[in-house]
Amino acid sequence: MAMRDLITGATSCPDPAASSSSSANPLGALANALIGSSSKTNERLKEIPTSIPTDPSSHLYSQPPPSQFLPGSEFDKPFFDPSSQGSQFLNGFRSAAASGGGALEETWDEIQRDGRAAPQLDGGLYDRAAPPPHLHQPTLDGPPQRVLSNFLHSFLDSSRGGVPFHPAPLPMLGLSEGDKQCIRDRSSIMARHLFADKSEEFIDAQVNALLSSLDIDSNVRGKGPMPERFRELEDYWNESQGNLRPGPHPADGWIAEYSQNRANLDNPDSWANSFEQQHGANGWVSEFENSQLSSMDQMQAMNMPNLAAMEQTRMLANTLAQNNDPKFQNSKFLQFVSKMSRGELIIDDNQVKETAPGDWATEYQQQYNPGHSWAGEFLNDKVSHGPDQWVNEFNDQQHGPIDDQWVNEFSKLHVGDWADEFGQQVAEGAFGESSSDNWAHAYDEYLNEQVAAKQQSDSSRGVYVFSDLNPYVGHPNPLKEGQDLFRKGLLSEAVLALEAEVLKNPENAEGWRLLGIAHAENDDDQQAIAAMMRAQEADPTNLEVLLALGVSHTNELEQTAALKYLYGWLRNHPKYGSLAPPELADSLYYADVARLFNEAAEMSPEDADVHIVLGVMYNLSREYDKAIASFQRALKLKPQDYSLWNKLGATQANSVQSADAIMAYQQALDLKPNYVRAWANMGISYANQGMYDESIRYYVRALAMNPKADNAWQYLRISLSCASRNDMLEACDSRNLDLLQKEFPLQ
Amino acid sequence: MASESVTLKSDALMDQMKQHLSTDAGKEIVKKIGLVYQIQIAPKKIGYNEVIYTVDLKKGEVTKGPYEGGKPDATFSFKDEDFVKVALGKMNPQLAFMRGAMKIKGSLSAAQKFTPDIFPKPAKM
Repeated sequence: MAMRDLITGATSCPDPAASSSSSANPLGALANALIGSSSKTNERLKEIPTSIPTDPSSHLYSQPPPSQFLPGSEFDKPFFDPSSQGSQFLNGFRSAAASGGGALEETWDEIQRDGRAAPQLDGGLYDRAAPPPHLHQPTLDGPPQRVLSNFLHSFLDSSRGGVPFHPAPLPMLGLSEGDKQCIRDRSSIMARHLFADKSEEFIDAQVNALLSSLDIDSNVRGKGPMPERFRELEDYWNESQGNLRPGPHPADGWIAEYSQNRANLDNPDSWANSFEQQHGANGWVSEFENSQLSSMDQMQAMNMPNLAAMEQTRMLANTLAQNNDPKFQNSKFLQFVSKMSRGELIIDDNQVKETAPGDWATEYQQQYNPGHSWAGEFLNDKVSHGPDQWVNEFNDQQHGPIDDQWVNEFSKLHVGDWADEFGQQVAEGAFGESSSDNWAHAYDEYLNEQVAAKQQSDSSRGVYVFSDLNPYVGHPNPLKEGQDLFRKGLLSEAVLALEAEVLKNPENAEGWRLLGIAHAENDDDQQAIAAMMRAQEADPTNLEVLLALGVSHTNELEQTAALKYLYGWLRNHPKYGSLAPPELADSLYYADVARLFNEAAEMSPEDADVHIVLGVMYNLSREYDKAIASFQRALKLKPQDYSLWNKLGATQANSVQSADAIMAYQQALDLKPNYVRAWANMGISYANQGMYDESIRYYVRALAMNPKADNAWQYLRISLSCASRNDMLEACDSRNLDLLQKEFPLQ
Repeated sequence: MASESVTLKSDALMDQMKQHLSTDAGKEIVKKIGLVYQIQIAPKKIGYNEVIYTVDLKKGEVTKGPYEGGKPDATFSFKDEDFVKVALGKMNPQLAFMRGAMKIKGSLSAAQKFTPDIFPKPAKM
């Protein structure tokens, strides 16, 4: 009863009809279908509306006992209780497989078992997900830290001259594995900044000299995903993923099963292969699973194998959404459910037929069982036909009707055209091998997204995301340290020092500004924008800050915001401010602002800055030729400005003059060898010219200097697959820079 | 540009695509894909105020407006943000579809060839 009260929001809006499970009330029926009669479930579900935070990303990670509240886990048991309706879909699969043997069933059972175990893991998983692994190490405190810090300074000093590093002997430091991991990662990033103009061999030699003198094995676990103390969690993670990854997947089980059954028939493998070619070994199945998972991703709390629960949720949401009864529309339960499925489906109301969740699963089962299913049919019919004939037969003979039914059933899930198409394509055998890869990757990527979810959602809102456990916290003068590091070109280290500064002095505009610039040069515009916005808060009229914000927003294609800041630059400029009428700020039109900047440029043609801003303006309107002319003019006045060379290059690249762009980037890199953005831009230019091998090397180089440059990772992935280097995709996905650098050294 | 009521991030990418198709790398794409995509981009919500682009990878053209040479091989609907994510490789198309961030009409095998690598990547200043 409590459950139904909840569903209908009975406390605020009691309705006797709603508390009955009569078929007139679709909600009641659904509720019964969903939860069976389990009273335990009632209690669990009661928690849900209050435990769903209004802003999922800001709460889910910080709640101390997530495993108790994570909404996905509530559904675990009820849906996988074999007696509940929720598992009918699975049963459908089971009985379909039963004619072929038990392997599929076993596979499912295995997954379910892990599904039940999963909630215990969730807390750990997210704990683990939050901090970027490379930095998630405690500060080296106490005397060893002092020793170490001096030691590292001597490394820096000695390396400035480009001479091989000869370390002094050190006392025992008692470093933990985690400490070593941290030092290893940071020193190799640092070295790449320091020696940006040197060869890979030299860099490796330097780093190895440093590491071996610290008694750190430069190869141990490479840049493995996790420090030692998370080993246990990692094992859990692998284990839980193992069940979802290609290996023991239902589709494989299926194929294996058929191979076994057909072992005495002609050429069993060819059938399995052809099946695999059409469907992809794991493609369709894992994608299906993926779709279930994605529907839950708002809650950030999915249990991987919990297919039925997700499916039910979606069905429920759709059914509820069609019901016009305001009582349902206002109910807490509907709000909860629609939250769960928000944005996951395009609901085309006209096409949706009202359907109880169990129905299609049952029908599906019925279609398959009496018909003896294609599996049985195939066994009886088989043998003399080659795989192609089988496909035709599958299509022509028995399965015409069943196929249609199947497609229709899926159409109710609003997959519409896609499902039709899928049915046809499968029948025609239109899937190449590549598609299976794509689908499987979609799933992997989804998992990665989960891990990265927190950082993304925070930074995309312009909130600055600090590194965890920053070694510069407590430094007496982190601003000066940050400025020094920035000047030396150690961008990633400078970021840490400057973060320490702004943690100490949150109102320090200069700290935030330099932090923003370091991020921009490190090719991380989201963080750059977030830092620059804080700088602007602290000092609203700083011209450099306004220009930087204009540039970053232009890079992110956010035209309105970019225009606002560029106009702000003009308005606050001591010389040109008078040109800008304040009332314009309320309704900025590009043409007006561009005209004002042109006036400014005419006023003082020798001011490089005004040409720079004008160049950015023309980028915004995609008048690249004019932008190039402006930047070239500015470069005549400021030939040593590396970021200006990069701006010129980027503009040329965007107007498809990639060859010129590469020359400009080279100028920028000659002036500042550790300019990550320019390295990444080089990669983009090569990729846009179809020179994927070259682009890979540049992306990898950029990433070695800043492993947090997400764009470069994404582009690297595309280049790898375009260069037919799918063998390295895994290294890319696991961000294994050691391997990538070995494979793709920059000559 | 900004004088229009809607400015889309996707406009910039489509512009770049248009130019890109005139390069050698762009011609390779046309040779490889040889299909016509119609892409409908909505500022906020799929189906509302859509801006329609035709990316003709048979002729190597990007034009505004629906395809006039018959039926496109596949039609996609996106929100502005999501199109950018897909074109830049931040979200893969399969995932976008499964999340409802991308709607597809037309041939599935044509849709399968719609991958982030056909779009040139913007460089950053």
